[in-house]
Amino acid sequence: MTTKPREPRIPVAYMLVIGSLIFFAAALLSPRDSIAVSPQSSSQDEEGSDVGIAVEHAATVSNCVSCHAMDDAGRMTRISYERKTPEGWQQTIRRMVLLNDVELEPDVARDIVRYLADEHGLAPEEARPGFFEAERRVIDYDYEDDDTEVLCIQCHSMGRVITQRRTKEEWELLVAMHRGYYPLVDTQGNPGFRRRGPPSSDGDGPSDSRHPMEKAIDHLAATYPLETDEWTAWSANRRAPRLGGRWGIAGHSAFSGPMYGFVDVTPVEGSEGEFTTEATLTNVRSGEATTRTGSANVYTGFQWRGRSTDPGEGDSMREVMFIERDWRRMSGRWFTGAYDEIGLDVTLYRADGPLITGVYPVALRTGAEMEELTIYGINLPTDVQPADIDFGPRVVVTEIIDAGADAIRLRASVATDAAIGKRDLFVGAAARPEALVVFDTVDAVRVTPQAGMARVGGVVAPKQFAQFEAIGVSNGPDGEPGTDDDLDLGALDVTWSLEEYSATFDDDDIDFVGELGADGLFTPALDGPNPGRSGNRNNVGDVWAVATYESEELGRPLRGRALLIVTVPLYLNMRGWEPGR
Amino acid sequence: MKHLQPINQKAGKIEHYLEHDVVALSGQPRGYTVPQQPDSPHIPMGCSLVFSPGWEVDRSGGTAGLCQPVERDLFDCHLGCFWPAHVPDQLNHSPDWTSKCAAAQKDWRSLDIIFP
Ligand code: HEC
Ligand code: HEC
Repeated sequence: MTTKPREPRIPVAYMLVIGSLIFFAAALLSPRDSIAVSPQSSSQDEEGSDVGIAVEHAATVSNCVSCHAMDDAGRMTRISYERKTPEGWQQTIRRMVLLNDVELEPDVARDIVRYLADEHGLAPEEARPGFFEAERRVIDYDYEDDDTEVLCIQCHSMGRVITQRRTKEEWELLVAMHRGYYPLVDTQGNPGFRRRGPPSSDGDGPSDSRHPMEKAIDHLAATYPLETDEWTAWSANRRAPRLGGRWGIAGHSAFSGPMYGFVDVTPVEGSEGEFTTEATLTNVRSGEATTRTGSANVYTGFQWRGRSTDPGEGDSMREVMFIERDWRRMSGRWFTGAYDEIGLDVTLYRADGPLITGVYPVALRTGAEMEELTIYGINLPTDVQPADIDFGPRVVVTEIIDAGADAIRLRASVATDAAIGKRDLFVGAAARPEALVVFDTVDAVRVTPQAGMARVGGVVAPKQFAQFEAIGVSNGPDGEPGTDDDLDLGALDVTWSLEEYSATFDDDDIDFVGELGADGLFTPALDGPNPGRSGNRNNVGDVWAVATYESEELGRPLRGRALLIVTVPLYLNMRGWEPGR
Repeated sequence: MKHLQPINQKAGKIEHYLEHDVVALSGQPRGYTVPQQPDSPHIPMGCSLVFSPGWEVDRSGGTAGLCQPVERDLFDCHLGCFWPAHVPDQLNHSPDWTSKCAAAQKDWRSLDIIFP
């Protein structure tokens, strides 16, 4: 059986037209000539002349004013009518340099991004829903407004959109920017920015004659305006946070399991919101401890952007964290990898007294006897007695093996009739809610992530890896699978295998896509056309990653699986590499 | 227990796929004890799921309908700026991508302005 012919990504008919039209269209719509240079249009004034954030920063004014004129109130075209994350400002400023011939020294660019991210930034409440964008997290994000979503996620994630605030005119100019640089957006996809046929009417109602892009602009202008109560309140209250001191850290990586330790944060003298860090992390499975040294900038009072390196291994990780308003907790993701896919989820807790960061293992079975367990933390009491450690009813600490300030190793027993569920843990004055789970059986295996993605690579483009983890699940007190009281029991020892996800007849992806290792790490195959495959296809495909757990109590294997999409590389990314050059 | 025998090759093939869990035919995954398994693929962040085919996945959320091999398509994408977030676009950022000469500006894209 032959594979069915694939649709080319650009319909041929378009290509012919494009050939002749493309430069014409670009010239006609190019924002270079029209948008930035003209003063902000009158529609802005109608909204009220007090709209717009004055720019009070010498470097921004001197480097940008030649194109972005300043009015009497200190407002500059474009710049004064937008707010965004540091990543958002970075993207704009890179584009100014790359496409609009702006010349900047990197240090000046950093200074400008810092100023704009602080003064034309987002409030914590505004940044939280789209924080995954900065964390470079692969999540299954479902945006509330479907019309806008289908229009705007064809090329990048909705995260890029919802982390910006603009006046209506600025949303219009953003859409104009897309049409100017990428003329095909008018027709690309379904729908494109412009409607193809006459307006459609839904049933009896009056027909909506707006183009899809106009609907999106109306939605975005109403949902993400420049002026908000959150921003007014935050900009009145914002200051550089004082984060100096020791923090306890609880981390989890699908690649290496749970990690505990501490991070010493030191303010850089004479700076506002700049820190150096030294972290010590213990991998609880291997017992191995690593140190990382790094530095960080905090933007807008709550957005941590750091970089740290393990001097031994030399690998550098970016750190993106959200600092809570009380300066006692920050959480986010540290990541590396060609596609930022290798990451560590972290939570840092300020450690000015005794602190529990977590326990390992995270679950104990009813009837467990003298089971070894470790409590991780900071400033834990070294003279601790079994009676000081409280896991709640019918879980008894029988022995302290050794007690250090950052870890207490102990043995515990659980009564056979102990109630199953989550248990808070107290050690002297320190507490950790829901630190331990008491369960009776492993009822199911859940593979995370439930849908993973990898990219072929190794020849022209780098590989994108995918790491799976098999989590034990108990049905919880109600004994029913799939209900809210199900309990996570932590990672299980399983055997990994791939199975075909049969999307077509004679589907043979499994023979080409790559290898799933014994540790759940999927390594994709090489990029490039594969002459050994029909149609010279790439080594792409859809397969199941399957975890099999030999359950002694059930006397049969339990299986769980996740979908794995092995797809094509990116030929450019925000880090600037362009494989194939 | 089997009630029907396949009478020709095609029927045999269909039965084979039903037994082997052809997702496109059966919908529900079978033989798994796990709650909350997706019965249709979730689309990871950043994927272009609406266009058929999209860059990473096709309309059904899989790779079967993608333009293949991708190399066949790259040059057109570059010329038409068709996937400007996936392929260097000829019109704006990367006029000389295919000529393999390094652009002086390139450093600016990899320059980190936010992270220390
Ligand atoms: C040489 C002229 C020029 C200079 C100098 C310049 N810009 Fe621009 N700017 C433009 C043009 C043209 C556009 C519209 C096209 C675009 O968005 O790329 C623009 C658009 C913008 C926008 C709106 C982008 C959006 O997201 O819709 C912002 C914000 C901006 N510039 C900020 C700056 C800052 C900050 C500086 C100083 C570092 C600067 N510009 C310097 C020409 C310039
Ligand atoms: C054809 C692909 C494509 C589509 C469709 C698309 N974008 Fe973009 N978008 C891009 C690219 C490429 C960039 C980066 C431009 C640059 O900085 O060089 C971008 C940048 C952006 C930015 C950041 C610009 C800045 O300087 O702050 C925002 C915000 C944005 N897009 C919003 C949207 C919205 C809203 C929609 C839907 C109406 C949309 N995009 C649809 C390709 C697309």
